[in-house]
Amino acid sequence: MFELTIWFYMGCIMTIVGSLATVWGSGVNDPIVRTLNTEVSSIGISLILLTYNHMLALLTFVATSVFISLILLRAITRLEEIGSEL
Amino acid sequence: MLVPEFVPEIFCSLYLPAIYTGFIVGFIGLIGIAINKNDIHVLILTDIVGLAMLIIVGAVGTDLAEALILPGLVVELAEIMAISEILISREMRKKGKNTSLLPTPLVFDMEIMTTAPNFLSLILIGYGIFLTGFTGGAVAGGGILLYILSRKARGLPILLINGLGAISGIAWCLWIVGFLLFFVNSDFWLLSLFLSACGLLLKVASKMGLIGTLMREEFKRE
Repeated sequence: MFELTIWFYMGCIMTIVGSLATVWGSGVNDPIVRTLNTEVSSIGISLILLTYNHMLALLTFVATSVFISLILLRAITRLEEIGSEL
Repeated sequence: MLVPEFVPEIFCSLYLPAIYTGFIVGFIGLIGIAINKNDIHVLILTDIVGLAMLIIVGAVGTDLAEALILPGLVVELAEIMAISEILISREMRKKGKNTSLLPTPLVFDMEIMTTAPNFLSLILIGYGIFLTGFTGGAVAGGGILLYILSRKARGLPILLINGLGAISGIAWCLWIVGFLLFFVNSDFWLLSLFLSACGLLLKVASKMGLIGTLMREEFKRE
C-alpha cells in the first residue's frame, strides 16, 4: 500500500521540523516546552531507525530518550526549586 | 562505488538524504547552542546534536551502524546525566540553597509491589539468561531492578554494592577474553561467542542492579 521510503522521508521531515521547533519554536524560552519539543525529533529518528531495520538500536533509543527527558525535566524542576533564572 | 555487496540497494539510495538530514539537524542544533547563553537551554540543545550524530551513524545501514549506535546512546545518556548534576550543584553553591534529589517523594502503595515481584523478577531473570548478550542483560537487569525497588529492606551493606561492581568487572574481562580468542584462534568461535555473550549478560544485568541499589535509597523516602 505504502512505499517503504515514505516512512524514511517522514522521519527525516519530522526530525528537521522537530529540531527547528526546539531552536526557534514558539514558547521555547520555557525549558519544559523546549524539552517536550525534542520528542518530535525523537519520533522522527525512531522512524528512520525502523526503516533501516535497526531493531536493537531502536529499542535502546526509545528507552534512553524517555530517560533523557526524565533527567532534563528533573534538572529543570530542581533548578526552579533553587530559584535560578531559566 | 565503494559499497560492499551485502548492503541492500535501498539503503544505498537512502544514504544521501539521511546524511543531508543529519547535517541539517546538526547545523540547526549548533546554531541554537551558539545563540543561547543559558546553561539548561544549551544542555537541551545538546540532545538535538546527539540525534544528528545518530542519523549519520545509522545511515550506513549495516550491523556495524547498529553496533556503533548503542555505545553512542549510552555515552550521550551518561553525558547528559553528568552535566545536569554539575549544573544543579553549581546553582546550589551559587544560591546557597539545598534541594532534595527528587522533587517529590515517590511512595507507591500498590498491592502488585508486594505480591508480584518474586514471580515477575524470576521470569524476567530466567528469560534474560536464556537470551544472553545485551538484550538478555537488559531483561535480567530489569528483573533485578523490579525486585530491588519493590522490596522494603533498606541500607544494604557496602560489601554487597562493591560485590556487584566486582561482578561487573569480571564480566568485562570475560568479554575481552572472548573477543581476543576470536581473533587469535577462530576455531574456538563458539566458545568465544558464549564467553562474550555471558560476560555481556552479567555486566549489563549487574550494572542495572547497581543502579537499583543506589536508587532505592531515595525511592522509599517519606
